Amino acid sequence: MILIHCPYCEQTLPELEFAYAGEAHIARPADPSALSDEEWEKYLFIRANPRGRHNERWRHVHGCGRFFNAVRDTATDNFELTYKAGEPRK
Amino acid sequence: MVDLATRTAPVPAEPAEFPGVSIALGVPLARWSLRARDAKALAKAVGHKVPTKIGGTEGGMACLGPDEWLLRLPEGATISMGEGLPLSVVDISERAITLVLEGPRAIDVLQSGAPRDLSKFAVGEARRTIYETVEMVLIREGEERWAVDVWRSFAPYLREALVTAASHLR
Repeated sequence: MILIHCPYCEQTLPELEFAYAGEAHIARPADPSALSDEEWEKYLFIRANPRGRHNERWRHVHGCGRFFNAVRDTATDNFELTYKAGEPRK
Repeated sequence: MVDLATRTAPVPAEPAEFPGVSIALGVPLARWSLRARDAKALAKAVGHKVPTKIGGTEGGMACLGPDEWLLRLPEGATISMGEGLPLSVVDISERAITLVLEGPRAIDVLQSGAPRDLSKFAVGEARRTIYETVEMVLIREGEERWAVDVWRSFAPYLREALVTAASHLR
């Protein structure tokens, strides 16, 4: 089982307590109605989907309940690090 | 009308006894879900000590998340609801029931379905976690005594799972 470090609980815990929540650092546009269809599509659907290092959101859903960000290698499933939501991209 | 209110427990009241562990329905409690950004303001508003480290307990108050607490008090207790303050106090007394596991093998029964390493779970610690697919709040009340707060609708399944695990102890 994969172990994930929760930056709020400050514990390394089994993945069963966590839920994946998509790519991290996708900021919602401040004024969506000013966007073109292409820009809105890009915001909604277009993701980096890299092979390798990926910044992504996770939620400690069966624990403290908090969303946080993680850097995971999509090829090896290795978690490089996790950090609190709101902190800059690492 | 309040006098007419009756409570039916979703699980049998009789404890299930096994060598090394008993699984019993806990007494009804008053429970509150508390949310606040400022722990000090919350402590002042509800008049109870508020632990700030996740997993910590202080009396009946358990810190479940960075801004979330669970307060468990004897039935009939009341607290200030913090009207007008930037915090949330919600009565969730009837949302959950408590299952009490007691005995030297209680840890083994819980570990049968809980992915968290319970040998590192300190006495006095309280955490929201999971047993198989059921979310629960686990409180280690003593070295050999565990309280499991579980939502009513999940309780029959969880009790059955724990009883099955206990019956397989050897």
